[in-house]
Parts: sequence; structure tokens; C-alpha cells
Amino acid sequence: MTWSEGGTGQIALPYPFYIDIVTKRYFDGVDNKTLAQVLDCFSADAVLTEVTSNTVHTGRDAGIRAMFEKLFTDFSSIWHGNFVHTADPQSNAVCSQFTVLITPHGGGELRYENCNRFYLKDDKFHRVYVYMSGDNLLQPGDA
Amino acid sequence: MQYEPGLSRGELIHLATQKYFASVDAKNIDATLACFQDEALFCVQTAFARHSGKAELRRMFEDFFGAWQTIVHHDFTCTVDEKNARITASFEAVLTGHDGSVTRLSNTNFWRVRDGKFQEVYVYMSGGNPLI
Repeated sequence: MTWSEGGTGQIALPYPFYIDIVTKRYFDGVDNKTLAQVLDCFSADAVLTEVTSNTVHTGRDAGIRAMFEKLFTDFSSIWHGNFVHTADPQSNAVCSQFTVLITPHGGGELRYENCNRFYLKDDKFHRVYVYMSGDNLLQPGDA
Repeated sequence: MQYEPGLSRGELIHLATQKYFASVDAKNIDATLACFQDEALFCVQTAFARHSGKAELRRMFEDFFGAWQTIVHHDFTCTVDEKNARITASFEAVLTGHDGSVTRLSNTNFWRVRDGKFQEVYVYMSGGNPLI
């Protein structure tokens, strides 16, 4: 069966899995700049799209890796919190609202109110859509 | 905020896509407002815009309905958290101006439902905010 975002034929995972992969694995890895932990959440051919600027990062070990390497280099501190989730095992998807506090090197702290939509293939993020309340911080990497 | 579950998965999807967006697209103000609790909160997060209560929502929707010749929301992908009375949907909004110009937005809405109606709505837009 062909995979589609939230489409039929998904295998439901336990409800806590969706909350935990978003908070305890993915954003914990982002906030602590643990690249391997972050990338382990994605399928090999995952695509991450920043919708508000239509920036597309393709491939876990290519575009997505380069994007996070740049993010981790450009910002001295990153924090995601105040989460509210819409978790849906039936469609193998989770959508999350959250606050971001992020500080660029040599700059002041920025506050964003963002959301992400995560569509899983098996137990990995396969398509991720990011909406930001300000300028896009997920720029293409230099790799 | 956490609200008691009530509507089923199908009822949540029907509320968001049929009762609400079908009413918006039909510019039916009373049917649109009937989807909201009296003290509902409506936030456009990507524009830092907030509207609270039926009076503010009525004014916002009346302005929105008047600003565009046609309003179409379609291509919904719904994510449903029935046990927590939440639903999220991605969709395309196609707004046609009175001069014929067309604005297309790829948006995401988060709804938190209390007693069968929207208590909180959070909108994330891919472009400029028409809900002012």
C-alpha cells in the first residue's frame, strides 16, 4: 500500500509513543544539540518543510542533517516547551503546539509560538511541517 | 487547557470541516458562530492576533466575509485526539478578491473543543493574515 500523510493502512503505535518521540526524543535532542538523537527520529527519506517560508529540507542524512548542523552552530541556546499535542494513533500522526526560546550567538533571546505536524511511517517521522510565528530559523545548511 | 472528551472522532471531523468550514465558505455568519462557545478564544499564532468572545469573532468574520468575493477551504488532512477533545487539520484556503485576484494559503488549525463547540482555536498560516 502506498504511504500517504495520515492515510489508511497505518499501524497504530501506543498513544504515549507519539508524545514521547516529540518531547523526550526529538525536542530533547534539539535543545541539547544531540544530532544523532535528533536524526534517529526521522526515516532515511524524510522531508521537513518550513511552511511559512516554503523551505524544504530533504533526506535525513542530507538536507535535514545540514539544517540542524547550521541551527546548532548559529544559536547558543534552544528551548522548546509549553507543549499541547493532538496525537492520533489511527492516522500515525501527531501535531504539536509549543513555545520556542532561542538565542543567536551575540544576540538577544527570541520567542516563537510555533507548531509542527509530524506524519510517521512506521515509527519514524516521514513528513514534518513547521509553522513559525517569526522569521524562519531552519535555514538550509552549508553541507 | 484540558477539556473533557465528548465528541467522537467522526463528530470532531464533522464539526471542523463540515459545520465550521462549510459555513465559513458559505459566508453564513450565524452557522459559523454557532460552532464557538460564547467566550471562545481565536488566535492567529503566525500573526500574533487574538480575538476573544462572540462579539469580536462576529466582527472578524463579517470583515473577512466582506473582504473576499469567494472563500474556499479544501484538501483537509485531519489529526484527531478524541480522548483530549482536540482536532488539528491542514488545508488549503483559496481566497478570491473582488478584483479576481487569488490568494492561496497552506494553513493549519488546532481546535480544542468543550461541550461540542470550539473553546480555543489556533491558526498557523503560510502567508499574510486575512483574519484581522
